[in-house]
Amino acid sequence: MAISADDRVGNPGRMPFAASLSASLRLLQAISAGRIGALVLLVAILAFLSIYPLSMLLYGSLHSTPPGVAGTFNLDGYQQVLTRQSLITLLNTVGISLAKTIPSLILAVLLAWILARTDTPFRGALEVLVTLPFFIPPILTAMAWGMLGNPQVGLLNQLYQWLTGSSSSPINVYSYGGVVWHMMQYSVPFLFLLIVDAFRAMDPSLEEAARMCGATRLRTFRTITLQLMLPALTGAAILSFIRGIENFESPLFFGSPAGIRVITTDIYDSINQSSPPQYQYATAVSFVILTLLFLIVLLQWKLLRGRSFTTVSGKGYSPAVMKLGRWRWATFAFCALFFVVTVVLPIGQLLIGSFFKFFGFYQWDTLTLEHYQAVFGSNEFWRGFGNTMLLGLMGATLTMVLGGAVAYISVRTRWRGRSLIDAMAWLPWMMPGIVLGLGFLWGFALLPHAIPIYGTIWALLLAYISLGTPLSVRVMSSAYSQLSYDIEECSRVHGASWLQTMHRIVIALVWPSFAVGWVLVFFGIMRELSASVLLYSVGSEVLSVVLLKLWVNGNAEQVSVIGLMMMVLVMLFRWVQLKVIKARINAL
Amino acid sequence: MSNVVLEKVGRNFGEFAAVSEVDLRVNEGEFVTLLGPSGCGKTTTLRMVAGLEQNTNGRISIDNEVVSDVTRGIFVPSERRRLGMVFQSYAIWPHMTVFENIAYPLRVRRRPAAEIRNLVSKTLTLVEMEGFAQRPAPALSGGQQQRVAIARALVFEPKILLLDEPLSNLDAKLRLQMGDEFRAIQRRLGMTTLYVTHDQSEAMALSDRVVVMDHGRIQQVGAPEEIYRYPANRTVAAFFGTPNLLDAEVAACARIDGGRVRLEVVGRGWRGSCEAADGVQLGQAVTVMVRPEHARIASAESVASEKELRWSGRISQTTFRGPSRSIIVEIDNGLFNIDAPAFGDYSVGENVSVIVPQRAAWAVPGR
Repeated sequence: MAISADDRVGNPGRMPFAASLSASLRLLQAISAGRIGALVLLVAILAFLSIYPLSMLLYGSLHSTPPGVAGTFNLDGYQQVLTRQSLITLLNTVGISLAKTIPSLILAVLLAWILARTDTPFRGALEVLVTLPFFIPPILTAMAWGMLGNPQVGLLNQLYQWLTGSSSSPINVYSYGGVVWHMMQYSVPFLFLLIVDAFRAMDPSLEEAARMCGATRLRTFRTITLQLMLPALTGAAILSFIRGIENFESPLFFGSPAGIRVITTDIYDSINQSSPPQYQYATAVSFVILTLLFLIVLLQWKLLRGRSFTTVSGKGYSPAVMKLGRWRWATFAFCALFFVVTVVLPIGQLLIGSFFKFFGFYQWDTLTLEHYQAVFGSNEFWRGFGNTMLLGLMGATLTMVLGGAVAYISVRTRWRGRSLIDAMAWLPWMMPGIVLGLGFLWGFALLPHAIPIYGTIWALLLAYISLGTPLSVRVMSSAYSQLSYDIEECSRVHGASWLQTMHRIVIALVWPSFAVGWVLVFFGIMRELSASVLLYSVGSEVLSVVLLKLWVNGNAEQVSVIGLMMMVLVMLFRWVQLKVIKARINAL
Repeated sequence: MSNVVLEKVGRNFGEFAAVSEVDLRVNEGEFVTLLGPSGCGKTTTLRMVAGLEQNTNGRISIDNEVVSDVTRGIFVPSERRRLGMVFQSYAIWPHMTVFENIAYPLRVRRRPAAEIRNLVSKTLTLVEMEGFAQRPAPALSGGQQQRVAIARALVFEPKILLLDEPLSNLDAKLRLQMGDEFRAIQRRLGMTTLYVTHDQSEAMALSDRVVVMDHGRIQQVGAPEEIYRYPANRTVAAFFGTPNLLDAEVAACARIDGGRVRLEVVGRGWRGSCEAADGVQLGQAVTVMVRPEHARIASAESVASEKELRWSGRISQTTFRGPSRSIIVEIDNGLFNIDAPAFGDYSVGENVSVIVPQRAAWAVPGR
């Protein structure tokens, strides 16, 4: 962290003794130069990561030619947006996101209630299993479901035909239903993670009071539990809705083959699938989606302002769980089924797919290890693996350091301009990966040749940092705001310098959050596809791009192998996160 | 109005017995308090009566109807026990107004709207919250929330009222006032009440009978005066105030009326007589309890009358407390606490006698 001063202690108004006033003023002058330098540097970094790509988008949407080519300024891009096809695309985007948010929310509420408030057996393990799909890169489940639900040779259809003897294929993932279904597998655990603590922290006597008033369990759930959770649920649902609009993998894999277009795939297609690439149209559409997201965020602020109930009681005892009797095995089965469908099925498909010669034709004599040999012998795989690892390690570390600095300034200092820093760090949160990728594509292309970022691995690194910063700021902010100021001030009073205080107290206490955030950002980088697919070039492919290229070439078998490798990585990191980091947090 | 009967009721959490062998009968219209330190099982007992916790042993009946019997596998869920309950946190639903909170039990019972309005406003009058019907619940103070919680528990005229430390979240002054008001309402309605608290003065002031619990077991049941004056054992004795507990041995034993015995006891450096419950043996070690307010200080040379006990010692500390003065006298057996008049003439180091009427000395089985 490159900040050299802390206003809270340096501020002369807070000094208890007048005698130390002049001394502290001198100190203040000495350190304020360093502080301004640090602030300027931070503002510059953040501006480059958020404002710069955004303004490049604006420039691109008004300019008739691709970056670096002479052209004129006009509104053609926006005119192209105003067509019937675009309207359908917009409606598709909103409709699909709504269609996946509502059932996802219902499922997530059910799961949260089961796992937080009932005596369902093995709740701890089930919670880990049920949230696992959140950590699996959606590109993997997309490919697995593409094989499972393939209308011709999909495993599920084969199973159905084998069971019923009919020759029809009831399941076709290349449809609206397929897009929604795939989005839900990510949305349900996402929503679950957002709302489960609200369920867990609720004062159980609020529900017990209803029972004592004569209300049945169902009525209590409907009139008390659900109503109290409503603000938290609304907030989570809006977030999930936004994620649905930004989603790229599901419509790319299941929508595009069926001719279902949404805004993100529209942007992708107009650059990667049309020749020449329609940059102006793509950037103009980007602004449409930004406006849409901005409106939703406004709505969220309006809806949620002042609408949160403090339902956490001061009393420390753990909420009494509801005794379900024999029904607890039904709730257990429900959670287990969710896990089987969202994790076991796709992983199983990847496993099967990786061992047979041709995906879809499962005979004993076609068992083979040749796909493993092919993958492990391919340069492209190792390069992608290396790039992903390098970018993940560097990107997660840099993102967390940047987020930690921003969060420290916005939460624990009173510097002027800290809200500007906070806002700039938050800005990429509203930009879907594909939009940010497009903005950076223009931005890097327009940089002078002395700064060779365009087409290198650094382009991806910068985009990942930008995409990850809002999350890292949020994680670190909540960690800092839970630290009482007394701890920091006490350390200063007892003679530690600012740097020592930071080192020994603040960082020591905050590092578990740092680690949690680091793993989350790493996961984010590993799964990132939409920005990567615009910014990569030969040599800087990451694993997700390697996968996509293989898939497009119809090499589902090698895709399965690489998918399994990624899955092992995910499980490993998740395990480390649960075992090592959780333990450290509990110890604090 | 109805009664509550607990027979051999117990609750185990795995190996740990939170409550065991509780036998208790709460009569119609009676106000019974479960009293004990935190973790003694009093709240668990109340929650088992409420049906919020399932007993693992024994039988609970309400209004002569079994609501929970482990051996017969009967368990009536909370909502069908028709009990009113006030929670420690009040559990006022923050998403509803005061009116909606109180009307909830009536709405659950599908009463007509006019009746609901009528009953709610009557109950609001009872708890002196007439003007607050349309207030959102989060805008209430602690005392107001407590009144709403009581109103909600009373509005559907339950058979029995259960209260789980309802006053513990209020400040000291409001606690006294709400306690008195609450007792007045309970008397007026003649409602059978089971009340849980860890505050001994609250228990004394409110209850018809007090049940002292510790380590999941009932230590003693009785009227407040009886428990205060004739505790059954050291634990109960020590729970009320800061009594002097003096070790002694029984030298003689004689039966007197009221199921009690008069003892002749010998301690280190003193002997005298006191009373005890029946069943004390000759030569048994006992603990003699003397409450500080029953002892008085006299000059060193004064002698005890026939009906008094006497210790001699030296004043080691005096503390002015306003209404009284706490004096600590060093005697052979240790220290002796005395509540003396606030403005007497005492000086530290002075040799004095401590005089206690024999009737105020009560012996319980010793350690």
